[in-house]
Amino acid sequence: MSLGLVLLTSCHRELLDPAPQTSVSDATAFDQPYRIANQVLSLYSSFKNGNFYGGRYIVYGDIRGEDFLLEDGNLVTNADVWNLNPTNTANAIVGLWNQVYSLINNCNVFIDGMNEKGTLVVGTTIGNTYIAEARLLRAIGYYSLLQYYARPYADGNGAKLGLPLRLIGIKGAGASDLARSSVAEVYTQILADLDFAETNLPLTNGSNYNNTTRAHRNTAIAFKTRVYLSMQNYPKVIAEANKIVPAAGPFTATSGVPHVLQADYTSVFKTPYTSLESIFSVPFSSSNGDIPGTQNALQGYYYAAATGVGSIFSLNFAGIIGNTGWTATDKRRSFIYTNPPGTKKFLTKYPAASPADFSPVIRWAEVLLNLAEAKARTTAGVDAQALALVNAVRQRSDATTTLAPATNGDLIDAIMTERRIEFLGEGLRNNDLMRLLQTIPSKSTAGAKAPGDDGYTWPASSTEKSLNKLWVDN
Amino acid sequence: MRKLLVALTVVLLFTGQLLAQKTITGTVTDDKGNPIPNVSVVVRGSNTGTVTKSDGSYSLTVPASAKALIFSSVDMATTEVTIGSQTSINASLKSSDRSLQEVVVVGYGTQRRKEATGSVSSVKGSAIAQKPLQSFESGLAGKAAGVQITVPNGVVNNPPVFRIRGTNSISLSSYPLIVIDGVPTYTGDQGATSAPANALASINPNDIESIDIAKDAAASAIYGSRAANGVVFITTKKGKVGKARVNYDGWVGFTKPTGLPKILDAQQYVDYKNAALNNLKALVPATTGSFIIPTDADGKPINTNWYDEVYRNAFSHSHNMNVSGGTEGTTYYFSAGYTNQEGILQKNDFTRTNVMLNVDSRVNKILTIGGKLSYSNEKNNIGGSSGSLPGEGFASAGAARLAFALPPNVSPFNNNGTYNYASATSIGSQGSIVNNANPYTFNNVRMLLDLNRSNNEVNHLQSNAYVQLRPFSWMTLRTAYGIDNMLIDNDIFFNPYHGDGPGTGTGPGGAATASYSKDKTWLWTNTIQLDYTFFDNHNFSLLAGNEQQRRTTVGFGINRRTLSDSAYDVVQAGFTTANPAGTSLGENYLLSSFGRLNYDFKKKYFLSGNVRQDEYSALGVKKGVFWGASAGWEITKEAFWGSIGLDKIFSSFKLRGSYGKVGNVAGIGNFATFSTYGSGLYNGIATLGFNVVGNDKITWETSKKTDVGFSVGVLNDRITADFAWYKNNIDNLLLNVPQAPSAGVPGNFVFQNVGTMFNRGVEVSINATPVVKKNFSWSSSFNFAYNKNKVTALANGLTEIVTATSSLETVNKTVVGKSIGFLWVIPTGGVDPATGKRIFYNAAGQPIYYQFGSPLPPGQFTYMTANGARYEKTNADGSKSPLSINQADDGRLYRNTQPKYIGGWDNTIRFKDFDVNFLFTYQFGFSIYYGSYAGLRDQRFWNNSTDVLGYWKKPGDITDMPKPIYGDNVSNGSAMPMDVAVFKGDFVKLRTVQIGYSLPKSLVSKAKITSARVYVSGQNLGIISDYPGPDPEVSANGNTATSAGVDRNTLANGRTITIGLNIGF
Repeated sequence: MSLGLVLLTSCHRELLDPAPQTSVSDATAFDQPYRIANQVLSLYSSFKNGNFYGGRYIVYGDIRGEDFLLEDGNLVTNADVWNLNPTNTANAIVGLWNQVYSLINNCNVFIDGMNEKGTLVVGTTIGNTYIAEARLLRAIGYYSLLQYYARPYADGNGAKLGLPLRLIGIKGAGASDLARSSVAEVYTQILADLDFAETNLPLTNGSNYNNTTRAHRNTAIAFKTRVYLSMQNYPKVIAEANKIVPAAGPFTATSGVPHVLQADYTSVFKTPYTSLESIFSVPFSSSNGDIPGTQNALQGYYYAAATGVGSIFSLNFAGIIGNTGWTATDKRRSFIYTNPPGTKKFLTKYPAASPADFSPVIRWAEVLLNLAEAKARTTAGVDAQALALVNAVRQRSDATTTLAPATNGDLIDAIMTERRIEFLGEGLRNNDLMRLLQTIPSKSTAGAKAPGDDGYTWPASSTEKSLNKLWVDN
Repeated sequence: MRKLLVALTVVLLFTGQLLAQKTITGTVTDDKGNPIPNVSVVVRGSNTGTVTKSDGSYSLTVPASAKALIFSSVDMATTEVTIGSQTSINASLKSSDRSLQEVVVVGYGTQRRKEATGSVSSVKGSAIAQKPLQSFESGLAGKAAGVQITVPNGVVNNPPVFRIRGTNSISLSSYPLIVIDGVPTYTGDQGATSAPANALASINPNDIESIDIAKDAAASAIYGSRAANGVVFITTKKGKVGKARVNYDGWVGFTKPTGLPKILDAQQYVDYKNAALNNLKALVPATTGSFIIPTDADGKPINTNWYDEVYRNAFSHSHNMNVSGGTEGTTYYFSAGYTNQEGILQKNDFTRTNVMLNVDSRVNKILTIGGKLSYSNEKNNIGGSSGSLPGEGFASAGAARLAFALPPNVSPFNNNGTYNYASATSIGSQGSIVNNANPYTFNNVRMLLDLNRSNNEVNHLQSNAYVQLRPFSWMTLRTAYGIDNMLIDNDIFFNPYHGDGPGTGTGPGGAATASYSKDKTWLWTNTIQLDYTFFDNHNFSLLAGNEQQRRTTVGFGINRRTLSDSAYDVVQAGFTTANPAGTSLGENYLLSSFGRLNYDFKKKYFLSGNVRQDEYSALGVKKGVFWGASAGWEITKEAFWGSIGLDKIFSSFKLRGSYGKVGNVAGIGNFATFSTYGSGLYNGIATLGFNVVGNDKITWETSKKTDVGFSVGVLNDRITADFAWYKNNIDNLLLNVPQAPSAGVPGNFVFQNVGTMFNRGVEVSINATPVVKKNFSWSSSFNFAYNKNKVTALANGLTEIVTATSSLETVNKTVVGKSIGFLWVIPTGGVDPATGKRIFYNAAGQPIYYQFGSPLPPGQFTYMTANGARYEKTNADGSKSPLSINQADDGRLYRNTQPKYIGGWDNTIRFKDFDVNFLFTYQFGFSIYYGSYAGLRDQRFWNNSTDVLGYWKKPGDITDMPKPIYGDNVSNGSAMPMDVAVFKGDFVKLRTVQIGYSLPKSLVSKAKITSARVYVSGQNLGIISDYPGPDPEVSANGNTATSAGVDRNTLANGRTITIGLNIGF
């Protein structure tokens, strides 16, 4: 019997409480400065997921517009987005919603953790910098969702239904139900986040690479020009831009990272991708988990192979590439590949399969054109600074052309055309149409969508609708 | 434990009383006069007893009051002899082969079937030996009531679907717990390649003595938190005292595929596809091209039968040798086996080399030690992929699919002898062109079979050792330590030219993955067993024990892509990129104590209780108590039974009932309770992000099981029958409960204990020996089970669980009020005789006609209503937009996939030296979605079933094949599943037939051998079923509970003939 008693007492009760060794428990995630630093980078990783800035979000912005044609009618690769008729279970509808809210919750969980413990570990200065980065990414997340799932701000000055505004980290069940805040309320939060970011981010991150791949003060200011433009709050666009854009050329940023247009447009999209023009871009490597993933990468959508064959979208001859004012010698046309029979054209901005080319989030050229547009829309006649800004962008790629609009309307048209040329394949087209409540033009077999049409905005994700009991459709 | 000690002390005090005595000696023999060792000899109504020595002799001092001796032994009928004045008593025991006299394994011990009150089915090892199976459980089909075995395809060593009394979990495993010689083992496909590695294949079926299947709570509760799916006890063979016996068993077998769909040859194909293409040209004038029959190097038209490229007549052979025997209390059983089994799929092989040694040594009257050593090496090989494993159904490299889908007008080889391929994904069209392009975007399966591989090698070590003390005849103390280690090497190679290997870069492509996994278990069990009889008739048996089980898993590997040199084909060679593959690190620990009390009064009234407390590391609520209680009443022992004459009919009649609560933890992640941050990369720099939401409240799923039944024996047990009615109410089902995506929790779900389901049913099994003559006997066994499964609750926010096949096609939906995995398809109304269009029904029941083609001519629409108008809806602003038929809106919950009736009929007939065995199995009351049916009618370039030749040609034609229009993948059901692809799965199968001839003793003794038997057997010989696919035993989704009844591009089953020889020395 004594043997039996020895046996009975020899159990290993400690084995009943194992801890995972391949991940970090939430109890200790904010214990060490390096862990907190790594967490900040994971927010960027979430941001560059293939469903968001890793590719698809940019693609949606381009293909909803009129400049691209569908080459592969596969729903998995956004044929329905191009057709402007995705259902509420479509890959795009569900995927973007899920990923951006995943990013937002990651930011919220991180901000909560910093407030509870993390800031004590790393100190207030660094802590606020980290929180500022998280809030900037959260702001871009909310902004990006608004452009697709909610009515434009211009439709009722933000009074329409916006998004469920989630600002507290969720780490368990039971938080599904939350009503939508108004569009204006969400914009208010976005701007609060960006203002905080502007105040707390460093002027520079110390290297071109870090200045391109992580947020600094000018990132927040630059993004605010985009946000205010979407709200048609042109005076604020001008106010924000004026913080860093000088009154006259050369338009080099006056404080923080000295952003400036690169002499060679194509160099912005080539290794090392970290020119002073790239305010914010996201990088990729060839490692698993650090790649855009199958059917997400810009390369696969626009220029899948050296011949363009297999690309999911080609360029629309009737789109911006047919613009006669865009001269053949314009450097930006060097990104257009024509197949030998001349029947197809493809955009070659993102030719690299692995590692993928950096995805651009915001460039200095956009800040300049945002300012130009805001000036043009608030000043009668042909505003001199606006004209100088748009010509700076044009002549960097086409030195022989000087834009000379005669009227205010011509100036605005010139700026809008310049945006389509300059940002082709960078996902801005959809947002530019919608912020102005313009009809999405037809292309090939896909019909136009007026602001009142079904499909002008996206339907709610079916899972959100069924699981969030407080959800109300647009 | 303290309570146990007190009880023990009381027992010891009782035995201290000594009375007047005498000594009785004798020998116990079997009916042939051979001595039997280890027979228990006990004075009736007391605990005084001994066991016989190796020569069968015994000596026992008995009190003067002793009236009779009871002799009992495993496998022998118990005999009682009155003592009277005798001092020498020899007994002869008859071997008991009647089921009710057998011993059943009940977990940590055995029990006589007559005394068991739980529901246990037993299958003898001999019933599954000598068959061309890779693992024992494949042979259980039809052998035991309520046990459903579905062998899903002809890929060798694929684990069958194994269910006991229905499917008892939704998201955890529904596979029973398998306990081999006291050690719970691994189940399922443990490999990481396209060649399945069934963990249970390591047990050579020829080494199995018995299989006992515990079905109700009373029989299974001793395994507590793991018993919800039933428990299967495997007992391997042990040696018997006596001269060494040597046995050789070997067979050779030939397998060929059965039931392959009839498909078009090259001429039929080209004619049919051109007709479809012409129909498209009439609609869409821009269409160009045609299909042609090219010629081969000899100038003959190409007519490739891709079945010949994929399938083969397979050859298998198996050799088993064992030696068993024993002297002076030490017995041994040693076996060695080798089997090499070819699958009907080319390059698919299973090879097993195994050895096993069982040794038991009785050191003295009190001490026995022993143990087992079992090692098995298995090689599971496949070239490419069969397309038949879970997740592979739509693999573009799936061989089974390519066998019937590749066009017959192209050859695997070009005329110059090189492989015919146009690109990474396309076979060369050899002249057929549609719209200026090669239409053939399928892989050349020949190339994949030849150049790719997806192999694994399993080294499985299962061993245990025990020490047993029997200080008194009524007390047994035992400690046992066991290990179960599975070490697996996975080896995958994709060629750089074609299939999954080529990269998008400019190099030669190619990819290789090597990974290694190490799953280890140790188990330490300590038990004390007390058997005692009070006051002559009150028989108690008490078991108490504790057990610890520790499992660890480690996995690592590498995936390398883009070969440095296109001639390389191993992972160790030069590649340009490398990523980790198959990494895993896990551990769990189960700490348990358990007990069982059996009581009977005069073998007439029986009571039994089992209880087990488990503490499991992976749970949030770690500790749980599980139990089962049962009672039995042997009515024939009542006086009134004889008084009304029923004893003349019934030799036994036992009522029994049980109730209990058991659990299920199989499949819960080791760290599911933890919320964790995971590591990642941001352009190669380390990151750490919140990526897993744990739930520290999770606990086991609970099964409350009720079982009521009776067992009868008629005509001196010549006919025995068991009837059972059972109910299993399952609650706390663990489900991934979806959260609104805007909450942003990783994965958008939280694993929670919610949901309920039940299984209810009836089981009948009848064993009879209709004829017993000297030269002729016939024994027959029939079983039948009815089961009803119903999901009764899911979770708030979770109204349905939709499960896709290979994440592409969804035909299974699990909803409240229906059985699990209900088929969900779109209703159709045949083919319109006027236009040849497929008619669908929308949710409102209106017929909608489908027209393929884009752009369609004016007046034509893709979806048209019966009056020829566009099928459309009116938007809020008054505008109209077209509607289409789609599964989300128009799909209907159609039919159940869970069989309602299953069973088998097994017969053995002996005539002189011949023996014949045949087994029928059947399943009724379920439906199958025959997904391949849609593919076989697809109007793209895919080859078709010959059924398409009856297609619609002119108005008035009544047919089920729509007007073919090239490219149409909707009318046939490829784009969305249709009701016409759902068929009744009911079948009766002649599963095995074996005819043996035992050489006469006179003949074999001259050759100095004890016995010799030759046999011929057939597997899967015939089937009666209306199911049009190769085999209604299908499971494209493996053991996944929520997606049963799907046959999508699955490899056919084979028909096997074996010839065998069994020699005993």
